[in-house]
Amino acid sequence: MALLETENLVKEFGGLVATDDVNLTVEEDERVSIIGPNGAGKSTLINLITRRLDPTAGDIRFKGESIVDRDPHEVVQMGVSKSFQTASIFSDLTVRENAEIAALAAEHGSFGFKFLEHRDSLTGVHEVTRETLDAVGLLNQADRTASELPYGDKRRLEIGIALAAEPDLLLMDEPTAGMSPEETEATVDLIEEVKRELGLTFVLIEHDMEIVFQISDRIVVLNRGRVIAEGTPDEIRGDPEVQEAYLGGVDL
Amino acid sequence: MSDEPASASETDADTGAVSDLVGIWAPRGNEVRVVAGMAVALALFPFVFARMPVVSDLLQGYQSLATLILVWGIFALGFDLLLGYTGLLSFGHAAFWGGAAYAAGVFSQHVSGSPILMVVAGTAFAVLLAWALGFLSLRRGGIYFAILTLAFAQMMFYMSSSPLAFLTGGENGFTDVETGELFGTFALEAELPSVVGLLLGTWLYAFVAIITLLCVALAYRILNSPYGIVFRAIRENEQRAEFVGLNVWRYRLMSFILSGLFAGIAGSLFVIHGTYVPLSSLYWTTSGEVVIMTVLGGTGSLFGPMIGAGVYLYVENIVSGGHPFEFIAPFWHLILGLVFVVTIWVFPRGIWGFVRDVRDYVTGGEN
Repeated sequence: MALLETENLVKEFGGLVATDDVNLTVEEDERVSIIGPNGAGKSTLINLITRRLDPTAGDIRFKGESIVDRDPHEVVQMGVSKSFQTASIFSDLTVRENAEIAALAAEHGSFGFKFLEHRDSLTGVHEVTRETLDAVGLLNQADRTASELPYGDKRRLEIGIALAAEPDLLLMDEPTAGMSPEETEATVDLIEEVKRELGLTFVLIEHDMEIVFQISDRIVVLNRGRVIAEGTPDEIRGDPEVQEAYLGGVDL
Repeated sequence: MSDEPASASETDADTGAVSDLVGIWAPRGNEVRVVAGMAVALALFPFVFARMPVVSDLLQGYQSLATLILVWGIFALGFDLLLGYTGLLSFGHAAFWGGAAYAAGVFSQHVSGSPILMVVAGTAFAVLLAWALGFLSLRRGGIYFAILTLAFAQMMFYMSSSPLAFLTGGENGFTDVETGELFGTFALEAELPSVVGLLLGTWLYAFVAIITLLCVALAYRILNSPYGIVFRAIRENEQRAEFVGLNVWRYRLMSFILSGLFAGIAGSLFVIHGTYVPLSSLYWTTSGEVVIMTVLGGTGSLFGPMIGAGVYLYVENIVSGGHPFEFIAPFWHLILGLVFVVTIWVFPRGIWGFVRDVRDYVTGGEN
């Protein structure tokens, strides 16, 4: 059974069709990248899967269960986590607290009545928090206020928050956008590491072709909301339609 | 008093069986220190404010005002849970303050005048009301939320001013409060015996002070529970909180209900303190006053709002009476406005924020 499936998924904004009859399948342990020119509908697709947007038609199934009637936090609780295109963090909180929030939600559910229990007693949460911060290399800065971090570290924290939610499927919306070459390299290393150590299934949206070809098992090419090609990095590299529509005929 | 922290720290040291038994109730971190410090402050406050030689002459404080400051302090403390921590500006908290005051008053007339039961009744009413109004108002965020809470509170004001006047006394307020003795023996207005009397003054103050202490302990607990961090996360980035899998809506509702709880406790104590419920306790100015107190003292802190309540009531009651200068008496509203403007201008994080900055500056350390 596929981990994530979309079936004839359509999203229209007024007259504009942002997602046009998309059938996407992501198997467990698979690394899928979604590429496409600006306005191809990549972010819309991610926003549909995370339930930030309501689809016009079609169905989305996670672990065989339809999620189109679920709230965003319920989808996260089922195991779909998302890292945002911008550093969407809790600025006034410390780095540790940022990860703690996500770990708390993962360990203790979307809501609880534990308002008389001290946070220090939640050892499971602290363990996940530590591990996550260690994984994204921010453990030595755990007590800093998140807003003080340099941009690259904020983005790593952003990925850390998504990881601390202990997802089965991680959706990454341009994790290296706005980063310097060094930061990009560090982030790719981080993704590679996560892939190796946690065996995480993820869907990546990315502009940087090098990264995409480096870390994906399969690539899905979108153009004007439609899937125009799908295959292994090698297949995509050689696909004439992709080169024409997306890469502008430039030979890779 | 002195042996309490000692026994608590023993519990801390004693791992295993005892802590399992005590479970979630065991104090952790700074809790013992905060509560003990607060207890000392509460014990000294009325003496310094109203009876201490020289100082009290300078301050012109009096016993009843000391009690009133604590009552409003509880209200502001709970309000800050919503405004300072969760980032929601309610402009209708008069509904819970006044609602609880009326509920406790009516309860005393028809059921029992026991101060403890009055507080329970008033608080229960406020919590249920907060649940209902929160459920309706939290559908919208930002300014719409503020307007919705304001509208609901004004509805309550209108209801008690005429349609429900047979119960509430209408324009005259509720005058039939029949407060009984504490535990059936101690008259609240009576002086406490010997040294305790010199320090605390009346039974009423002792009663209010103990409840204030419990409220501070409760608020401190909440802020150090998962709720504390979730509330701040929602304030910082609501969308991200939703996308780590938190049910933002239910946490907000809990924040609203908890702040309604504190408002309810305070409103009930207000009627016990004044033995009268003015209709204005439901009016929007009451909602505005608690906003000003909280912001003046410093949002996002435990003690700031209580200090804000103290400063506000001091100006309203002492400065308005012509102290320290006779000629400023008619201009006390102006003074209050100036205090507010200058404080927010110079210390945007309120009086408590200023105190913290000074402390950081003196100790030279971060945080």
